Amino acid sequence: MKLFSEAHKTVFVVDHCPYMAESCRQTVEFDMFTKNRAPGIIPLAPISKSLWTCAVESAMEYCRIMYDIFPARKLPATLSSMMSISGDQRLLTVAPKQLMGATRVNFIVSDSRAHTLNSWGQEDQNLQELMAALAAVGPPNTRMDPECCSVLHGLVEAVEVLCKCTDYQHEARTTLMENADRVSNRGRIICITNAKSDSHVRMLEDCVQETIHEHNKLAASSDNLMQIQHCELVLIHTYTAGEDSLVSDRPRKDISLALTSEVHSVRAGRQLPAKLTTLVQQHFDLASTTITNIPMKPTFSVSEQEEQHANTSANYDVELLHQKDAHTELLRSEGKNMTPITCDHFKGKKVDPHLCNSNRDGAVKDTVTLKWCTPRTNNVELHYCTGAYRISPVDVNSRPSSCLTNFLLNGRSVLLEQPRKSGSKVISHMLCSHGGEIFLHVLSSVRSILEDPPSISEGCGGRVTDYRITDFGEFMRENRLTPVAERGFMMDASMELPLERAKSQLERHTRYWPMIISQTTIFNMQAVVPLASLIVKESLTDDDVLNCQKTIYNLVDMERKNDHLPISTVGTRGKGSKRDEQYRIMWNELETLVRAHLNNSEKHQRVLECLLACRSKPPEEEERKKSRRKREDKEDKSEKVVKDYEPEKSWQDSERLKGTLEREKEELVEAEIIKDSPDSPEPLNKKPRVSIGEIQPLEKVKGPVSLLTMWTNRINTANSRKHQEFAGRLSSVNNKAELYQHLKEENGIDTHENGKGSRQ
Amino acid sequence: MPTVVLLDVSLSMTRLVSLEGTEEYQRKHLAAHGLSMLFEHMATNYKLEFTCLVAFSSLWELMVPFTRDYNTLQEALSTVDDYDKTCLESALSGISNIVQDEWGVCIPCQVILVTDGSLGIGRGSLRHSLSVLSQRSEESKFPLPFPFPSKLYVMCIANLEELQTTDTLDILERLIDLNNGEGQIFTIDGPLCLKNVQSMFGKLIDQAYSPFHAVLKCGHLVSDMQMFPRPEPVIIDEELEPVPKTINTELDIVGFIKIADIASPPVLSRHLVLPIALNKEGDDLGSGLPEETEDETSASQIAGKMPSFCVLLHGSLKVEGMVAIVLLGPDWYGMLYSQADSKKKSNLMMSLFEPGPEPLPWLGKMSQLGPILDAEENPYGEDDSKSPFPLQPRTKRSYAQNVTVWIKPSGLQTDVQKILRNARKLPEKTQTFYKELNRLRKAALAFGFLDLLKGVADMLDRECTLLPDTAHPDAAFQLSHAAQQLKLASTGNSEYAAYEHNIAPLQTDFSSSSADRL
Repeated sequence: MKLFSEAHKTVFVVDHCPYMAESCRQTVEFDMFTKNRAPGIIPLAPISKSLWTCAVESAMEYCRIMYDIFPARKLPATLSSMMSISGDQRLLTVAPKQLMGATRVNFIVSDSRAHTLNSWGQEDQNLQELMAALAAVGPPNTRMDPECCSVLHGLVEAVEVLCKCTDYQHEARTTLMENADRVSNRGRIICITNAKSDSHVRMLEDCVQETIHEHNKLAASSDNLMQIQHCELVLIHTYTAGEDSLVSDRPRKDISLALTSEVHSVRAGRQLPAKLTTLVQQHFDLASTTITNIPMKPTFSVSEQEEQHANTSANYDVELLHQKDAHTELLRSEGKNMTPITCDHFKGKKVDPHLCNSNRDGAVKDTVTLKWCTPRTNNVELHYCTGAYRISPVDVNSRPSSCLTNFLLNGRSVLLEQPRKSGSKVISHMLCSHGGEIFLHVLSSVRSILEDPPSISEGCGGRVTDYRITDFGEFMRENRLTPVAERGFMMDASMELPLERAKSQLERHTRYWPMIISQTTIFNMQAVVPLASLIVKESLTDDDVLNCQKTIYNLVDMERKNDHLPISTVGTRGKGSKRDEQYRIMWNELETLVRAHLNNSEKHQRVLECLLACRSKPPEEEERKKSRRKREDKEDKSEKVVKDYEPEKSWQDSERLKGTLEREKEELVEAEIIKDSPDSPEPLNKKPRVSIGEIQPLEKVKGPVSLLTMWTNRINTANSRKHQEFAGRLSSVNNKAELYQHLKEENGIDTHENGKGSRQ
Repeated sequence: MPTVVLLDVSLSMTRLVSLEGTEEYQRKHLAAHGLSMLFEHMATNYKLEFTCLVAFSSLWELMVPFTRDYNTLQEALSTVDDYDKTCLESALSGISNIVQDEWGVCIPCQVILVTDGSLGIGRGSLRHSLSVLSQRSEESKFPLPFPFPSKLYVMCIANLEELQTTDTLDILERLIDLNNGEGQIFTIDGPLCLKNVQSMFGKLIDQAYSPFHAVLKCGHLVSDMQMFPRPEPVIIDEELEPVPKTINTELDIVGFIKIADIASPPVLSRHLVLPIALNKEGDDLGSGLPEETEDETSASQIAGKMPSFCVLLHGSLKVEGMVAIVLLGPDWYGMLYSQADSKKKSNLMMSLFEPGPEPLPWLGKMSQLGPILDAEENPYGEDDSKSPFPLQPRTKRSYAQNVTVWIKPSGLQTDVQKILRNARKLPEKTQTFYKELNRLRKAALAFGFLDLLKGVADMLDRECTLLPDTAHPDAAFQLSHAAQQLKLASTGNSEYAAYEHNIAPLQTDFSSSSADRL
């Protein structure tokens, strides 16, 4: 079980005593431009950094690499959601195998007292915050009394800080409750100072050891503080160039069970940042990859010491750091049939960095060289990728680095090839950015165990040729996912998670979704599209209902004109079915679709009512029975048995809307169509019921008249006598009243009424 | 997961099995019988598995290289000869090389060792190999654990009682331990006979070669399917009490994402998704596996003509260039996509992401992905020109935010040059001049590098004196103003050294330049 490791918490303690203001005695030319461009002018004298400046910028470089590869992220929400999975399966770190988001740095400077520059909090974990805090501290004050200044204050403070929980640890402790003691507390203190002697170093170690001991006692009796299980002390003694080191290097050794310590003696100037870059790699298990052969237009600038020729194309190398895991496949297969993978110009140069001046920065390390493959197209491909790791360029602001990173940040990706002495080219990695972060993707480069798989067309359903591929494509686009702001849904705890909503949308959209073209009529009809796309919605607006109704009327119109239907002849025997049979099938299918959504909202019912009112009558009783059976089967299958049905209220509305539409129509559907349709509700020649409580089960409509219906009919009739009858109904013939008689007079066209309107 | 069958062909395998009343069997016959049953099972239910056969005694030989042709494997079983003594270590090294040559080191393999439990004598015997385990150098390391993920199944053609008379079982258990505990030992229950060998291999088949069947669902659209290779349980060692996670047998599609948006995500494993037709007894009729043989059953022909959601999904994913996101279990996701093997052949594939609520940082938390209709406006734009992905991290990485790094002199020189270059183009470049100046100032203050501020101030003063007569009068004003401000900052402790403070361009009366400053 891997809990919080030393890498979770890092405390930097940087000595801020007056002696740190001393120059490192390595000069930097900064007036280069003048030197090259304007002869005759004496360039300004080079300047040198102080020990303090060297220490601080080295520490910042350490943090830069760390934050690039393990960006601090606000975690509790993620953590708790993982921990709440189920009792025993709680996760204690976030991303498996990675420290993603869980690295925390605390920065302390020490002079006459300790100054803590930031907290463990995620909001303090970035370079800008640290830079601002460092600027506030400023360089060491040379006027301070050296006697009362010491790095000890900082070390003591560091131990104290390590006892404090980070947000991760806090979350883990509160989630684990009774098992809170299983959350471990380890950390690392990196102290950059100028020690006087080996015994001074020992004194510092002893002091840290003692402080840990004391604070662990304190923490044991505290609810908020945590005991330090283990602390790794990295003491870096830095001194000015030209001096001899008074302190000797010492590899890691155990001081006590809770403390290990190591000493590095490093000259300030260029060696110190190189040292910290090496350390950050060790501490976070990083590895280096050098991208070679990057084509780049040469610069005219003269920033580099090396000669650069204008107008000649040159290839550049860029070194990147990332988690070691990105090399697993390469390293494991080393010595098999691979060529050497370590970079030639570094290999074998394991020289003491103090003595090694041939290598400019004293950085000696193994790096894996991968060759840039100029991307040919911008095609988006889905590569088989077994890992993706964030990167940090070693030399972030150099021109080659920034050319590469900008290229990637602009959305391009680069395949990387393993250099091999012979054989075919092997692409093993890919660099690309996702949202401003660059990742090194590990691509699978070995033989696939899935090679030569059977084609999908050879298996089940493979012989079917008329799948609704395009329609399903459209369906997928409608059901694409998008990130939903957390705030929105957090406000109402009862609200479903966005992903659950996505799932229920898929459920709705597939309630009636025939997979092949020959199984459906309505989805092959352009005329049905508006209704089909609206009906799947959770709720409909009045406009939506109107549109659905328009669609239905449109179909009615088509039927009247006896338009051809794109019905499939597959499955029908003999000659193509008759036109009215086709329409019957179409109406049945449409009804199945609408019924599947009947319970979405009350407005969906209005669409069904309209549909039932409009659909045509099947020619014979036989047919009717048959179709009902069929449809009932379908309904059972789709498990969308429509239970509640509230005809009256919505009936009114739909009729009203329909009335408006019908005005535009010259000919209307005959009354008996509705009455005799097998699925239409009872002829609605009764008063609309106001009571909402009265809900008629649908089944009832199909069967013989129930006692309740008889009773309500009777009451309705009785009630209707108690008020004045509508003028229309009074003047009706056969319970039909002719509407808009004036139109007839004006146009001279014989208008048939369907009589429905007259019922009200 | 390719399979390596490692068959013991030493003389001890020819020992007779005492059977009552029937013909005589040797142990090797029992072994061949068991393996033959395994191959038969694989040929029908696990057709895509690559298997190789290695025979070993004191030497080893690759009888059949990795193949899906189970007839060849069956034939090879009947042609093996008898050799000398058992020497397992060299055989294990041998298969380690065979596997690495073929599959590299990242593909998990199953190794089936079939032996009678007599592990050899003297040098090269397993007992000897293990006893000198600690004295080995890096070059002559024991082949276990294999460098690739593996399971080692030991099939003993011997019963437990027989093995317990010696320390064989302990040694075999140590062997499994050496393979990081990955593997299992099978022994024969009861007397050695064909039936009991069958039951032992039956157990292996149940454990390692049972096909994984699941139901793929997208709302009401469903399809029965088989995943190959079957997904193995995943253990996350960061858990408090790690329990292997297995994927659901009902896999729900939760939505769709463009291939460009999912952007070649890292995956744990990938699997072929083969639609299957289940009849009422639950047997599969046509499992969508290859080999269009002559005697293709009418059942599978019918299955081919029955519409399958997998095929529809595959077609649309391919045409649209999208993937379907699948829920595999609690906080565990995967994706379905079309994978083309060649121009004609393509397949539905499923890749499994690392278990966790946020397997891909650029998608954010998976549970926070919702339908586009929930968004106020279509995040993909009306003409599909935009995308809500990738998500941007809260803080920019160093390479995306123009950080100041001066650990190499070149970094510092470049920054100084930028200022100087802009200084020579004043007043046109007033804005960039001050931007660069302030960037340098901030870094110098943070690093306590006050000497640099003085140096740059001197440099600007000098530039001021070098201005040609034709220079805009504003240039001189701005240069001396900037130099003055830097000098003030370089004193430290004053109010001018505040980090947040920015040097603002000097307000001058030159109307032309004031426009630049806006």
